[in-house]
Amino acid sequence: MTTRYGNWLLAALLAVPFTATPARAADPFNELAEKTNQKMVKVFGAGGFSRLNNYGTGIIISPDGHILTVASQLLDTSELVVHLYDGQRLKAQVLAVEPELDAAIIKIRLDGKKIEEPNGLKLDYFDFAEAAKRPHAETGDWVLALSNTFEIALRDEPLSLQRGVVMAYTKLAARRGVFEFPYTGEVYVVDAITNNPGAAGGALINRKGELLGVIGREIKNTLSDTWMNYAIPVTAKVDIKELVKDKDGKDQEKIVTETMLSFVTKGMKGEYKRVNRTTTAIGEGGYHGIVFVPNILDRTPAYVEDVVPGSPAAKAGFRPDDLVSFVDGEPIASINVFNTWIKKNTRSGQVLRVEVRRGEALQTIELTLGAHPAKTATPQPAPMPKTP
Amino acid sequence: MNALLTPRRLLIALLALLAAPATQARAADLNESTEKAMKAASAKVAPTVVKIETAGGAEMVPGGPKKGGGPPPAGIRKGTGPTTGLIVDADGFIITSAFNFANKPTDIFVTIPGRPQRLVAKVVAHDQTRMLTLLKVDAKDLPVPSAFPKSGIDIGQWSLALGRTSDPDAEHPPSMSVGIVSATNRIWGKAIQTDAKTSPVNYGGPLVALNGQVYGVIVPASNRAEGETAGVDVYDGGIGFAVPLEDILAVLPRLKQGQELKRGLLGINPQGNDAYNASPIIGAIQPDSAAARAGMKVGDKITEIDGKKIPNFSTVQHVLGPKYDGDEISVKVMRGDKEMEFKGVKLQGTNTAYVSAFLGLLPMRDDPGPGVEIRYVYPKSPADIAGLKIGDRVMKLAPAAAPALTPIQNRSALLRALQQLTPGVEIKIEVKRKEGDKVETVTAKLIAAPDTLPEKVPLPSSAGKALEGQPKPKGKEPKDPFGPGCGDADEDASFGDDKKEDEKKEDKKDDKPKVETGFIKRTNEALGREYWVYIPGNYDANKSYGLIVWFHDTTEASKDGEKVGRTFRDVCEDHNFILVGPKSGNKDGWVPSETEIVMQDVKTVLGQYTIDKTRVVAHGQGNGGQMAFYVGFNARDIFRGVGTVGAVLGTNPKENIANQPLSFFISGGDKDPLIKDIKESKDLLIERRFPVVFREMKESGKEYFDAATFAEFIAWLDSLDRV
Repeated sequence: MTTRYGNWLLAALLAVPFTATPARAADPFNELAEKTNQKMVKVFGAGGFSRLNNYGTGIIISPDGHILTVASQLLDTSELVVHLYDGQRLKAQVLAVEPELDAAIIKIRLDGKKIEEPNGLKLDYFDFAEAAKRPHAETGDWVLALSNTFEIALRDEPLSLQRGVVMAYTKLAARRGVFEFPYTGEVYVVDAITNNPGAAGGALINRKGELLGVIGREIKNTLSDTWMNYAIPVTAKVDIKELVKDKDGKDQEKIVTETMLSFVTKGMKGEYKRVNRTTTAIGEGGYHGIVFVPNILDRTPAYVEDVVPGSPAAKAGFRPDDLVSFVDGEPIASINVFNTWIKKNTRSGQVLRVEVRRGEALQTIELTLGAHPAKTATPQPAPMPKTP
Repeated sequence: MNALLTPRRLLIALLALLAAPATQARAADLNESTEKAMKAASAKVAPTVVKIETAGGAEMVPGGPKKGGGPPPAGIRKGTGPTTGLIVDADGFIITSAFNFANKPTDIFVTIPGRPQRLVAKVVAHDQTRMLTLLKVDAKDLPVPSAFPKSGIDIGQWSLALGRTSDPDAEHPPSMSVGIVSATNRIWGKAIQTDAKTSPVNYGGPLVALNGQVYGVIVPASNRAEGETAGVDVYDGGIGFAVPLEDILAVLPRLKQGQELKRGLLGINPQGNDAYNASPIIGAIQPDSAAARAGMKVGDKITEIDGKKIPNFSTVQHVLGPKYDGDEISVKVMRGDKEMEFKGVKLQGTNTAYVSAFLGLLPMRDDPGPGVEIRYVYPKSPADIAGLKIGDRVMKLAPAAAPALTPIQNRSALLRALQQLTPGVEIKIEVKRKEGDKVETVTAKLIAAPDTLPEKVPLPSSAGKALEGQPKPKGKEPKDPFGPGCGDADEDASFGDDKKEDEKKEDKKDDKPKVETGFIKRTNEALGREYWVYIPGNYDANKSYGLIVWFHDTTEASKDGEKVGRTFRDVCEDHNFILVGPKSGNKDGWVPSETEIVMQDVKTVLGQYTIDKTRVVAHGQGNGGQMAFYVGFNARDIFRGVGTVGAVLGTNPKENIANQPLSFFISGGDKDPLIKDIKESKDLLIERRFPVVFREMKESGKEYFDAATFAEFIAWLDSLDRV
């Protein structure tokens, strides 16, 4: 099956010089680039110092000049300017920002018009609602990236086109603790070097010219020291922890799911309200009762030395010499990793799926966390018997 | 399946296309079909691509040698993130990049697509030449990929780099990065090169062809360095490498048995350092090596290996690069005008280290001969036991077994004669006594070079006739009987511009008073970098001078420039040394790439003065000492000694070579926090059988030599041409 493709492709490539008219793909990149360019802007704002660029890219999502871009320092200015594909230089204003989607909506403001008034611009645009309805792209899909990477395009010059494939559709946090980045949802990782200065806010499109995502910022995987090339999908979705008062007036945490589509829809109308989010204080997590071997190295493996009698770990059947290897699928490289994970992610009553290495095999153990036992008072020595 | 790209098929396809009016329509879907083919190829291999997770092991692994030479080894922080592997045997064998195991994890877990439970894996063996690790999990009936035939790999073919690390779910398609085959036979014939993005994201994963066959396993690699982490610094740089799966499958049976695969060594060394131009004449043979066992000799010119013509030493490296320990090769050489063939030469995994043989005397320098005057006899050395005395002249010498004695013209000839012998060999020496001009023949049994230093080296050390016998008229073969190479059979080829050198020397002689002496600052015109030289006030072109190349410590206030000049002033005058001090352009430490600049400065000095090439020494303190080690090992055609204070070896030492010997003088303060590492460096060098003098200075931290050690250092410097 695939062999046929191989043959076929090579034959087709070789055939090119022989045919009178060169072979063309059904979806030639030049036409795509030209069409897409008209739906893109170059954004100029704050920055220009200490490695922060004062330029970026944006995607037009309405005929009136609503523009989707990333939530960056670029927008921290009242002098926001965009350049259209034809070189027009227009002022713009921020309508909505959501760091946890790493997205922002800005809108072109013509002189003498109010921001909310129709301005009669009639620009070419991406229908965001349409784009968000399509299923996400898959690993191996060919993609094109358009952005003003390195500010190479000036005024009416077309943006740079890059070709690549979707390397993976996954959460950036697949390697946990690696990225310091507010967005926690799925991204398109691409195999082209797309995330360069000025590229953030650019468009990731498929071969049909459909919008797939917004090119993200430059972020580095601090663990492997490699830069990431990714775009936030139009289908993006994140869970935001909202701080609400319960009927007793106490602070409660509520999970709100925010989609890129609802952000864009509300944002365009100027109706997007950021929820009052919690800053999750790290508590002590649920109680397990595992006693680990002495934690002497930064990377001491999580070997069980003992379990507290009657504790959740004892009930679940942990044994000395078990090596805690995965908790809820997350690799546990060391005692430190385990402790941090428990504190950050668990509470009393939560059920964890713990995989332990026992001998030469992994055993899965269900561990129901409990509440931390009250600090037992230091045992007092028994009173001395009174000597007569 | 393998007929994928046969010319016949291509031709048929081409003709069909030309004939068919549908060409346009079919070509129109080119992108569509290529994209589909890529996904299909990935899907075909995906079940064999596994996720590997590790726990435990070191936090940091030493940085690659590329970086490790100059600055303090940076080290690579080894992630705890997952890595990728490829199933190569249905019974649970998985091959992966050794990079993933550089930190020696204590626990390894493998997730195989379609099997929900993670499996515990064990390391079975390593292929040290290709930086691969074989793992074993307890599983049966696993799918295995099909290898793309190596002979069919062409530059320009699509290549897909697959990995399992981006997505925590092994049931999803593996991550894919697309590129083409950029080159074949890279890294000395061991790897395919691709421009698909390779990084820790897919190291250990397969590089796949469009038909779903596997070209090879993705590894970080560098043709300039070795080790698990070599080449990591070019991640995502458009240069990626994969070891052909066909090659891996060929050695899989050996790996499965737990055999550690090593590089196959022939045990020969070239004459000079120019692997590309110099003809492949054997300059040295490691004792007991494959070449030695086969009967190859120093001076043999290699013409063919395994039927491949060998124009230069670089080709030798290319042909031998992919070979393993135990592989057999056939070698053709020219010995004089006789062609000889060695068949079934069995390569070895390790070479027995070459140990310099020692007779126990210091020769008088700058004496055109014939014969060599003895300047000093080491007490209790073979020479002493044989009754050789200061002032005697060594006239002839040969192994006791040889039918006749070989006349020794001068010091260089003496060094060369002894370099070809090993400790334990008995030799006969014809000596002309100082007293009464009596000629006698004595015997001595050579020993391994000891780490003792002469208590006080007698002066003068030079007969002061260095320029005697220098050819005045041009056009004649320039033949400096003392300096160049001392031991290089092809000594005059060492620097390329010997003629100029000779001319300059003539100038020096004619205009002796014009030689500027003292501390001189210079600028390397081509590079605009400064360096300094110190020429002793009593410079005499008729004496050969040792050269001390000083590498300053870049981090701390260290003895620099004029200060070093002052420290060494008396030494330079009494023992005939010239100092040269290149400057690092880097505050954080020397970088290996500065070697070339340094060597330019050194070669300029070598060309301007009468230099004794047996006493060219790299000397440095702290990170400058580390650079001295590095340069010493990487410019072996020039350096014969490395002297360091408070410095650590940045890389694993190379082998000792007969025609390019190196001696070491290593010191450190007992209060230096690095003293443990300094001692380790020393031990590593001793392990490689280099002559090493080590001095731990009492009550000293990071200071320069104390007076006693300095005196010993001088003795070491002045006895580098000991035999």
